[in-house]
Amino acid sequence: MTTSASIRLGRPGARAGSASTAVSLRGVSKSIDGRAVLSEVSVELPRGSFVSVMGANGAGKSTLLRVMSTLTGATEGEVRIFGESRGAAVRAKIGMVAHETMLYDELTALENVTLFARLHGVPGAASRARLMLEQLGVGAVAHAAVRSMSRGVAQRVALARALVHGPELLLADEVFAGLDVGSRELVEGVLTEAWGKGCTIVTCGHDVEQSLRLSERVLVLERGRLVMDEWAHRLTAGSLRERLGGRA
Amino acid sequence: MSAVRVVMLLAGKDLRIEARGRQTLGLVVVLGILIEVVLALGLGQASSGLRATAILWVTYLFGGVLCFEKTMAVERQHGAMAGLLLAPVDRGLIYLGKLCANLALLGALAAVVTPVGIVFFGFDLSAAPGAFAAVIGLSLVGYAAVGTLFSAVTSASRLQGGLLAMVVFPLSLPLVITSTQVLAGVMDRGEALDMSGLGVIAVFDVIFLTASWSVFELVVEP
Repeated sequence: MTTSASIRLGRPGARAGSASTAVSLRGVSKSIDGRAVLSEVSVELPRGSFVSVMGANGAGKSTLLRVMSTLTGATEGEVRIFGESRGAAVRAKIGMVAHETMLYDELTALENVTLFARLHGVPGAASRARLMLEQLGVGAVAHAAVRSMSRGVAQRVALARALVHGPELLLADEVFAGLDVGSRELVEGVLTEAWGKGCTIVTCGHDVEQSLRLSERVLVLERGRLVMDEWAHRLTAGSLRERLGGRA
Repeated sequence: MSAVRVVMLLAGKDLRIEARGRQTLGLVVVLGILIEVVLALGLGQASSGLRATAILWVTYLFGGVLCFEKTMAVERQHGAMAGLLLAPVDRGLIYLGKLCANLALLGALAAVVTPVGIVFFGFDLSAAPGAFAAVIGLSLVGYAAVGTLFSAVTSASRLQGGLLAMVVFPLSLPLVITSTQVLAGVMDRGEALDMSGLGVIAVFDVIFLTASWSVFELVVEP
């Protein structure tokens, strides 16, 4: 697996050549059933960033990713993804892995991924879907129904679905949940490769060491507020854990 | 990708899931036949076209609600609807795909319970089989248009099927009343097909199809 040092050494050059912004949130608040889930979050993520969003359970991480995905509108504030607020053109650039796999139980892994490849207008959808499944180490179960799969295997199929159209922005909510050590390394490799090709990646999770190893920037949410936005190389696992109050 | 291909892709996905799971069609067909058995035991032979159409409508209404509920439940499982909503396609096409799948299931239901009804109740459709097919077919399009939209509305509710029936049955009354009146005229009184009645059904279809297509995006926004 690639080390964090080599990843970071490779990235600044790529970032410097890309001045435009992938995600821009200005004063974004989101209330659900009258409860404030996000409060005045402002953040700009340049194209090609790799960002980890951290925080305790209920801090608003998943909601933040859903707002970035345009699946959920903000109650207040402005959300811009690649300069646009919403629409099919924006959605075409987004791939998302959420808590739920977004897969159909009765369909096979290949049918699931091919369906989304076709909806995204990917040429040679079935071949591309098969390639993604193989890349994620689940090629052997391409013809198995999703309902027969373990959580970890289904999670990798979900990641294949999210990446099949070559998104420019990947939103990955607890993408490592339920994965064994080997699968985690495989998924880390796939994310790193996508990042290397210029994909902006925003993940959220609870693994401090992994977040620092993979990402270049760390955002910390606390009760819906953005309380920290720091470069990963300026943080240590101890300092981040302390900032998270030992809850992440 | 063209709009027609997207609709066919999504409808095909729903029908493939149904073919694999065999959860909906078997259930609604058995339910429809049970309803006919119960009504046959209670009412005896239905000698008029009005009664025949009304009895068939009971099976279409209850079977339809189950179809609408089941096909939408697939999208709520594992958050699959969110995956569709992230696709760069007009969200109205997601509605049309779901509508086509529901229509196919309703058509299959009608193809089974109508002949069974003919056997149980001695319906005589020989006077105007084409008129019967046209009126019922057009009416089922309107019923599926309403049912597909409101299945999306009620799928997030705990009541689901019960609430769906409470909303869809009253809204479908114009279709039920008009189609039974039109078919009673044709089959009982030997009149020519009432084009104004057919027009009412067609207008209902157009209004609900257009309105549902337009508001579907707002309804399914998570």
